[in-house]
Amino acid sequence: MASSVTLGSCPWVLHHHPSTQSKTPRSRSPSLITLKPITLTPKRTVSSASHTISSSLVTKEDSNLKSTSTTSSFDFMSYILRKADSVNRALDSAVPLREPLKIHEAMRYSLLAGGKRVRPVLCIAACELVGGEESLAMPAACAVEMIHTMSLIHDDLPCMDNDDLRRGKPTNHKVYGEDVAVLAGDALLSFAFEHLASATSSDVSPARVVRAVGELAKAIGTEGLVAGQVVDISSEGLDLNDVGLDHLEFIHLHKTAALLEASAVLGGIVGGGSDEEIERLRKFARCIGLLFQVVDDILDVTKSSQELGKTAGKDLIADKLTYPKLMGLEKSREFAEKLNREARDQLLGFDSDKVAPLLALANYIANRQN
Amino acid sequence: MASMTLGSLVHHHHPSPSSIFTRSSSLIMTLKPIVINSKRTVSSSSYIVSSSVVTREDNRTKPSSSFDFASYMVNKAESVNKALDSAVPLKEPLKIHEAMRYSLLAGAKRIRPLLCIAACELVGGQASVAMPAACAVEMLHTMSLIHDDLPCIDDDDLRRGKPTNHRVFGENVAVLAGDALLPFAFEHLVTATSHEVSPVRIVRAVGELAKAVGVEGVAAGQVADISSEGLDPSDVGLEHLEFIHLHKTAALLEASAVLGGIVGGGSDVEIERLRQFARCIGLLFQVVDDILDVTVTSQELGKTAGKDLVADKLTYPKMMGLEKSREFAEKLSRDARDQLLGFDSDKVAPLLALADYIANRQN
Repeated sequence: MASSVTLGSCPWVLHHHPSTQSKTPRSRSPSLITLKPITLTPKRTVSSASHTISSSLVTKEDSNLKSTSTTSSFDFMSYILRKADSVNRALDSAVPLREPLKIHEAMRYSLLAGGKRVRPVLCIAACELVGGEESLAMPAACAVEMIHTMSLIHDDLPCMDNDDLRRGKPTNHKVYGEDVAVLAGDALLSFAFEHLASATSSDVSPARVVRAVGELAKAIGTEGLVAGQVVDISSEGLDLNDVGLDHLEFIHLHKTAALLEASAVLGGIVGGGSDEEIERLRKFARCIGLLFQVVDDILDVTKSSQELGKTAGKDLIADKLTYPKLMGLEKSREFAEKLNREARDQLLGFDSDKVAPLLALANYIANRQN
Repeated sequence: MASMTLGSLVHHHHPSPSSIFTRSSSLIMTLKPIVINSKRTVSSSSYIVSSSVVTREDNRTKPSSSFDFASYMVNKAESVNKALDSAVPLKEPLKIHEAMRYSLLAGAKRIRPLLCIAACELVGGQASVAMPAACAVEMLHTMSLIHDDLPCIDDDDLRRGKPTNHRVFGENVAVLAGDALLPFAFEHLVTATSHEVSPVRIVRAVGELAKAVGVEGVAAGQVADISSEGLDPSDVGLEHLEFIHLHKTAALLEASAVLGGIVGGGSDVEIERLRQFARCIGLLFQVVDDILDVTVTSQELGKTAGKDLVADKLTYPKMMGLEKSREFAEKLSRDARDQLLGFDSDKVAPLLALADYIANRQN
């Protein structure tokens, strides 16, 4: 079988790789058909159900796709490019070049460096899912991207991950100096809140804006992004026998999933979604957030720096905990598949036109190559 | 002469410190008027510094001379400390909470929270309504100090009399502790503020707070400050220095006062007066800071003194000399008090006293 939504080999937006549409991740591991069922019981609420991975996987996938027939005809590539375009324009005008020049230059350097804009797109798609217009979500979408960017700027610092390359270019501190990089990150962080609060349309009730601010703040602090970073740092060099999958999952749910979760939830909030809809979006995002990281770990093992656009093989060097290290490459791929399915389950019941982008996004994250 | 010499009362118990004004009393009587053309809206009028300043001062501070600012300050600081302690408890992941608490609860003067609460009370609100906002501004202030102290920025070993955050926890944790305090300030502001405060006002408060720490506030000031090192004082005007201070220091003080006014239910006019007041004392704060850095030792200050000279940073004494700096401080203090004219004299007392405290402090 071949999922028609195979985007991994076509990194969209800026990298223009030659497309090889027929390649699917499944082709890398044909032995999937003979594997035993795997039961994973993570303590965090990613999913309480375990899935049986068997040869019927292939047919189930097909029927999933068939039942959401609009998905296979949904042009995700165009959708993403269009949305990323809008986001880029919004970011460009939200953070214009002005005095003091240096800090704005530094902020823009990283912010407009051509990211995939997965988080903003998720935010917008979530907003549209619950019936809102893209314009309602744009400030929130920009806010989550600003925060994502600032976390990368700070992560790359010499005292943190000490990276020289990011998104294919020299890292912020390499260009502007460490001091400006720290401050540019701080400025982006605070500006995200300012932008969310002041630029969100007055069509969105103040109560919802307040809720959104709270959600965003929670996602990036000691119950979110920073928590993941801190635990990650203190995990370096740990004996793999001493830590379980829970530990790794903690890192990823906080380091990666939290902000994706906030992106989806914010979209749901400003789009006018009900509490139930917002919770489904939260769970969806949590799944794809973890998925994102599992795939990231897999890619780090299997790809070169050039293809990735950032320093590859670092995880091995840094002796960081990763899924391949804990469960092996094959099982990591299976876990990814499981998460993808759980994510899609969250979207059952929504309007099939409106879920299409989110379903495709989940597949994109599962199948990406960088 | 102002009876408000509080520098000794809060933390360091100096024997009868003289205010910066008494030291220059002889000069006050003979100086020419000073006009400083500041582009920023601190004050558009110039003041004549003369011997009459002494009497004028007495008249203005008559009601507040019976106000026990020392107790007020200690009481409020205590409430704030308790609120901060429970807002940021020690919990998993331990290290980062330890680092956050280390800096947050390090025994500071809590001027910004106090200003926030006093502003709230000035416009008729309860102190309790302002407490989350007061904590939020202190969290932001703390995070900016943690980051400022980093090796790549100001590279400080001492802060508030103790080793700086990165010296204790490592640079990486210090960066993250700051990164965590910033969003938490917003989380706390929106989740802990009483439901009596309308969502509209809370959104407004969020915007104001965010503005104060970003590229129109603290971060901008720091960047301008960094790029000023080594600059020839004759090449840059006072405006440049004022830019740094209005952003680095005044912006957050401004936010403190404005937030207090917002959550306290103040009118737009009242909030703007509070903003101007805070802007004045913010600049005043820094002018005094510059003066103290030249005149006091590290031990008394609680942080590394004389750094400004070493770092070759722009300061008011460097740009206009020590005496003129003291006069400018006096002018700012008066401008600040002008903003409070017309308010209930009981309710302005804390703010008037705060302005005096900032003007006369010794550390």
